Amino acid sequence: MNNSDSITLTPSAKAIKANRRRLRAVGIIFIACICGWFMMELEILGVRVLVPYFGSAVYVVTGSVIGVFLLSLSVGYMLGGWLSGKISARSALGAAMTATGVWMYAIPFFAEPVCDMIFNIGLDEKWGSLLASLILFGTPTVLLGTVSPTVMHWLTTEASDSGFNAGLVLATSTVASFAGCVVAAFYLVLYSLRMTLCISGAVLAVLGAMVLLSAAMQAKKNLYSDSNGRQQ
Amino acid sequence: MKNRTHKTILILMVCMTSFGFAATATRQLGEVIHQKNSLYNGIFVYKNGSIVSLKFGKRATSNIQSQVDSNDPQRHMLEYSRMTFCGLLYKPEPKKMLVLGLGGGVIPRQMRHYFPTMEIDVAEIDPDIPPVAAQFMGFKEDEKLKVYVDDGRMFIKKQLRRDPVPKYDMIILDAFNGDYIPFHLMTKEFLQEVKGVLADDGVVIANVFYTNRLFDAEFKTFISVFGRSQAFFGAASGNAMLVSPGPACPILTQQEAVEHAGQIQQLHALSFDLVEIAELLRTDIYPDRRAKVLTDDLAPVNWLREQETNKSPAETP
Repeated sequence: MNNSDSITLTPSAKAIKANRRRLRAVGIIFIACICGWFMMELEILGVRVLVPYFGSAVYVVTGSVIGVFLLSLSVGYMLGGWLSGKISARSALGAAMTATGVWMYAIPFFAEPVCDMIFNIGLDEKWGSLLASLILFGTPTVLLGTVSPTVMHWLTTEASDSGFNAGLVLATSTVASFAGCVVAAFYLVLYSLRMTLCISGAVLAVLGAMVLLSAAMQAKKNLYSDSNGRQQ
Repeated sequence: MKNRTHKTILILMVCMTSFGFAATATRQLGEVIHQKNSLYNGIFVYKNGSIVSLKFGKRATSNIQSQVDSNDPQRHMLEYSRMTFCGLLYKPEPKKMLVLGLGGGVIPRQMRHYFPTMEIDVAEIDPDIPPVAAQFMGFKEDEKLKVYVDDGRMFIKKQLRRDPVPKYDMIILDAFNGDYIPFHLMTKEFLQEVKGVLADDGVVIANVFYTNRLFDAEFKTFISVFGRSQAFFGAASGNAMLVSPGPACPILTQQEAVEHAGQIQQLHALSFDLVEIAELLRTDIYPDRRAKVLTDDLAPVNWLREQETNKSPAETP
């Protein structure tokens, strides 16, 4: 009786487990996509933030904004890779998303004083816009840069999967970046810049808080099952 | 079915004719004598006989930026460059002028011709434009006529930082080339900066197009910043001049405008009829009530520009 039970149960339990893993993978990739979207949205809107203060000369857009984003991403990648072995992926992602969201929400409130201050120091549109871009967009982009390595680490359970997972994460999050880019440049520019940044920031912060919450729940569950294990 | 075929043929014909027109328009400009891809523009200089034209981009539909008759450099080829002289109706003897956007340099060159001692500053974002204006369009800098390679808004911000802040009697905003509208040169915040460098009895003139909703938004933005604004509507083109006088400068009725024009015409022997330009003033046209003031926060300029209204002054009652 017991035997037959275990025989019929095992495959379905396996299937459930596999299903759950697949679902989890989809969820993780979804998070990567969200972050990819918001990164490009921030970059496109970032140009609009700076132009009234530093003009629309080509170095503001290509040099300062794109340059700062690339540099910040590279710092973020390094940081994310380093952190992924130290703290739980869930908490790292949740924290990065929440902090970026809060920062994005706050940009409309400190963009003006920051840009005015830099302009008044007497920095020209090249170095001035570069510095402003670094102050305004450096931190959130570093945080978003940590996402890809963290997500790859979280997805990968076996070393042989790592290449595939890296490809999957980069491909999907870059498609999301493309979508964020197009939607921001074509449509979001039709709305209030402040409102767009605040709403986007709030959405990202809430999503980040949800991930943090699930991390806390997971930690509790692990603790519980660990202590259970020890009891047995 | 038949109906649909007819429709298709009709559409095809319309397309072909309009392409035809466009092609002729380009052909009339003559040969390309100079071309350069600068950081901001595809610069094309055409020559047909003595007529030299400057265009950004080769598309047949893109606007002619400047046109000069090299046999008669004082001839104003384009209606809009004649229209910018409407500022004189408000400020007949300007001492100091600012132009945003150089193009072929027709406006500052003509102004220099009639006002030999006027101080003229020009801000042009594209470093490749001034040499083209000098080489092909007869534009010349002099001691009191200087071109600064700078974004218009940045140039004004830098003037505001000077002590004392220079004040201009006439400011011409001509940085919109018809195809691309820089939003930061249309907003309330920008116009407030412009106001900061405008003499109390000075005048601001903006070259815009009145055929789309952007016109109403810009008109409204001018009113919100300067309190008063009037518009001159082109008869031969879709161009309009939005004019806002400083606090110590009067607003004009059409009759006053025409009278002033007659006097200035006599005094300076202009090469074109300024009275004709004065007659383009319409004091009975106001911006659409639904139009919103443009701000740095919300300025969907390119979208508004696509919403055509075809509001011609002749059609409005």
